[in-house]
Amino acid sequence: MPFLLAETVTAAPDVEEWMLWAILLSPLIAWGLIVLYFRKLPAIAGYLAIAGVGAACVMSFVAFFATVDADGAILQHTHEWFTAGPLTVNLGVRLDGLTAVMLVVVTTVSLLVQVYSNGYMAGDPGYGRYFAHMCLFTTSMLGLVLADNLFMLFIFWELVGLSSYLLIGFWFHKPSAAAAAKKAFIVTRIGDLGLLAALLLVWTRADTFDIAAIQEWAASGSPEGYIVTLFALGIFAGAAGKSAQFPLHVWLPDAMEGPTPVSALIHAATMVAAGVYLVARFFPVFEASHDAAQTVAWIGAITAIVAATIALVQTDFKRVLAYSTVSQLGYMMLALGAFGYVAAIFHLFTHAFFKALLFLGSGSVNHSTNTFDMRKMGGLRKHMPITFWTFVIGSLSLSGIFPLAGFWSKDEILLDAWRENRGLWVCAFVVAFLTAFYMFRAIFLTFFGTYKGGEPVDHHDEDSHFHGDPAHPHESPWVMTAPLLILAVPAIAAGWLNISGGPIDSWFADLLNGALPHVHEHGSAFEWGIALSSSAVALAGIGLAWVIYYKRWVTSKSIRDVALPVSVVFENKYFLDRLYEDFFVRTVLQRGWNRLLELNDKYVVDGAVNGAGTSARWVSGQLRAIQNGQMQTYGIGIAAGVVIVVVAVFAANPL
Amino acid sequence: MELTILVFLPAAAGVLALLLPKQYEGYAKYIALLGSLAALALSIYLFFDFDSGAGGFQYVVNEDWVDVGAFNLRYHLGVDGLSMPLVVLTTCLTLASVLVSFSVTQRQRAYYACLMILSTSVLGVFTALDFMLFFLFWELELFPMFLLIAVWGSGRKEYSATKFVLYTIAGSAFMLVGILTLAFSANTFDIVQLGQQASFENPVIPLGLAFFFLLVGFAVKLPIVPLHTWLPDAHSDAPTAVSVMLAGVLLKMGGYGILRMCVTILPEQADDYSIWFAAVGAVSVLYGAFITLRQTDVKRLIAYSSVSHMGLVLLGIGALGQTGMVGATYQMLAHGVVTGLLFVMVGLMYERTHTREISRLGGLARQMPLITTGLVFAGFASLGLPALAGFVAEVTVFLGTFQRYEWAVLMSIFGVVLSAGYILWTLQRVVFGPVRHEWDGVTDQKQWWEHSVVLGLASLVVLLGVYPAIVMDMLNPAIQGIVERVG
Repeated sequence: MPFLLAETVTAAPDVEEWMLWAILLSPLIAWGLIVLYFRKLPAIAGYLAIAGVGAACVMSFVAFFATVDADGAILQHTHEWFTAGPLTVNLGVRLDGLTAVMLVVVTTVSLLVQVYSNGYMAGDPGYGRYFAHMCLFTTSMLGLVLADNLFMLFIFWELVGLSSYLLIGFWFHKPSAAAAAKKAFIVTRIGDLGLLAALLLVWTRADTFDIAAIQEWAASGSPEGYIVTLFALGIFAGAAGKSAQFPLHVWLPDAMEGPTPVSALIHAATMVAAGVYLVARFFPVFEASHDAAQTVAWIGAITAIVAATIALVQTDFKRVLAYSTVSQLGYMMLALGAFGYVAAIFHLFTHAFFKALLFLGSGSVNHSTNTFDMRKMGGLRKHMPITFWTFVIGSLSLSGIFPLAGFWSKDEILLDAWRENRGLWVCAFVVAFLTAFYMFRAIFLTFFGTYKGGEPVDHHDEDSHFHGDPAHPHESPWVMTAPLLILAVPAIAAGWLNISGGPIDSWFADLLNGALPHVHEHGSAFEWGIALSSSAVALAGIGLAWVIYYKRWVTSKSIRDVALPVSVVFENKYFLDRLYEDFFVRTVLQRGWNRLLELNDKYVVDGAVNGAGTSARWVSGQLRAIQNGQMQTYGIGIAAGVVIVVVAVFAANPL
Repeated sequence: MELTILVFLPAAAGVLALLLPKQYEGYAKYIALLGSLAALALSIYLFFDFDSGAGGFQYVVNEDWVDVGAFNLRYHLGVDGLSMPLVVLTTCLTLASVLVSFSVTQRQRAYYACLMILSTSVLGVFTALDFMLFFLFWELELFPMFLLIAVWGSGRKEYSATKFVLYTIAGSAFMLVGILTLAFSANTFDIVQLGQQASFENPVIPLGLAFFFLLVGFAVKLPIVPLHTWLPDAHSDAPTAVSVMLAGVLLKMGGYGILRMCVTILPEQADDYSIWFAAVGAVSVLYGAFITLRQTDVKRLIAYSSVSHMGLVLLGIGALGQTGMVGATYQMLAHGVVTGLLFVMVGLMYERTHTREISRLGGLARQMPLITTGLVFAGFASLGLPALAGFVAEVTVFLGTFQRYEWAVLMSIFGVVLSAGYILWTLQRVVFGPVRHEWDGVTDQKQWWEHSVVLGLASLVVLLGVYPAIVMDMLNPAIQGIVERVG
């Protein structure tokens, strides 16, 4: 039994191996129990899911503090899974500073979202199925961050894709949801091709999947530079798919077809951060390849700007947040490409909390108004005070206002960008302005002004489980507001964990640096110039939103008319969906190339087969005419045969 | 002795079913069920009793059969690490196809006789160690298949059945020339001896051509592009159980033949041809996948996806390395259970809606939640989701081939995206979307035999996905023997 032969490489954090596996297994067990027994028992399914994720959460915190005690050093346990000739594939867990941070983020947000879902999803016919899928997602994500080798990471990477598919398409009878689920899976899989190619490349060249060994291999200087670059770009392609980087970002806004808590957990806080995690995980590889790092940084910058500009013109509350997420993920990638390893993960960490808060807030608004269309909202500040204030806290944090969490992490990214390349800094700076603007545009449209009535309930829709009365919006029940209040705490304070020179100094940075094979020098400090300029630009964004959408000194319509071509491009999402779906998939692939091959298959390949049959029949029909039963004909045939044989014999043996 | 019992047990049950008096027609299925259960139990016993460490062929039976001059034919059966898993796959899918046939009402005695004789012929192919005996079992399969498609099929069933038989026979004719050439120049029909043969004296035709002739016979069966057009026709018109057997095990006879005969007996020629294996394999993967995207009939769609998946088998063999060949064999097993399950699910759906046209289906998730779950599960297995059978196989094939033919693998991995495309698009159109009231009142999966076949195959898909070592440990030594031949 290879499973029993555990080999311990190092044992820095004082955590038993079983506990790491238990973190992975407890939501999986909850999933199994729900699928097998409690699909039809909502009362049990929800609590079982909370118990499974809660147990994982508690153990994650234990692992986290043990890692903190060990200064982020690495703990690894590896077991053989299977061999095929020279190929050996292992399953193993690895705990270090980076994993510990991700464990805490994933399980905490997941737990709060499950609690919230108990209220939000109440009465849905697929309630049990929902919690089963959520548990499956949590398991996949935990496996992804615990994996100690690229092969295992790839396995959970794909399972995360599955969970996302199942949850986006949760309301599968809605054609838009079914289409969005498919789109998400296929677009991310295009990125996964890169990851798969990287997997093949690294095994062929480095003969290992082990993360530590790959990091060492890339940094050793023994492989040719282009191999390391190709490997790094393959990794980044996978990351770009999951983390919705340009030009593969198109699936994420559509993914908002899933239930809102799903958007909060998967498409804002955790799964989409998997790509950022992956690049951070292989950070030494990107350090070894400057070209790859530059690509990451600029793709990140483009993504951040493209998504932020689209967010400016959205009318759907949730889609503003979706594009904001894409933009912020671009920010993190930009930071990684600028060698801001700590800054990127720090932003991932703070972003997870305030973005989950914002999404759950939007869900709370939807719970009360039955719509996400901001044109049908307004004035909700008075009706939903808790939702309103927590949403404002999340938005301020996202906009990077002192002293909230987002301020500190965004500031570090700007600083790293400034040091690496001024062009990157300019992009990041512009995005900081746009972010503040679109968030407060949404706030003013939703919570200020007068209420415009929401969306009337369609009583004929058997799938709708909307209880309230959209005409009279109300605050959501405590199971939904409590997670908002709890998430508001890290949205305010999570940034204080990494203030250099502050009370706990660069404790967070040390923790993350422990995961790297060597000391990472590109550390961040605080600089007044960067901090003041970014705060000023964020306040300017808020101010402009206030002028246009609260005071209405200038109407948004007049601005749109002035910059019409630009607005059209933004409103049509840079026409990328049209390019991909209508032009490439439907026209070039399906009506062109595939049709051509199909016709070839039918008329050329199969035509030859049927042609062989038909011609055999024709030939035998002709031959039948010879066999007419007349002795004379046969006689001529025999005579001719004799002549031919005689001639042939003499020709072969001349006298 | 065990193997003789195993091979002929299904056929015995089939003959018994055929001999039932007319008034007991309804018992035919139970006889077939008992026969296939017994065969499965025996094969599982042999699987766990098999000594992977010992290597070579086990449970060997070797008796005189025909001995006339140069014709020294022997009744020689045995299994090694390569054929043992395929034998178990066959008995599993035989049981599955008997169970999904419980709804068949027409001429049951003859039906089960054909199905069980089919099973015997496939088991014979996987266990025969005499080349002529192998060929006999190979040909024996045609007779029940022809009847099963032509009598119990649907649509253009006579055309499809005839096409299937003629196509296979044309391939077999080439194969027979190859077999006789090798056997006469080595003076033996013994596959084990042929597999150790160092050189062949005075072959009637050049060995390269003999290799090619053998290959044609196996390539038709696998099938590879462009010898594949019989498969979509046969699948779309065959009854469910026959599709399960066809996709699940009959195609694997081709891959098995290439490994056991072409590569093992003529390793030098295999090395000469290997670049073509990789090229044709990669083309099959992509060509099959592109055409799958155009299909409008669910069964034709799965048939073309099989062409794509079988391309991976050829690709994995093409590298002539251990990882690639183990991956190729694993792909055969994985494809067997996964596609078997896909055909079962589509069959259950067809029984209820009587259509396979994708455009007429839709929204079935509400009316058939269990069948939908099974279909989604099988679909994800087919697109290579990790933790399910196909993933390990695919990645092992890619890893094993990448070193030697980077370009072929880089082409083939696009199949991963295309398969996600055709599977998810099909699911979207067949089971998701708004409910169609046309299908109100159809029943969901509810008979015990339906539940057991779906659960059984799904468990196998998961088992192969999470515990590959159970089969890999057996494949490794056997494939190592082949790799050593190639040198």
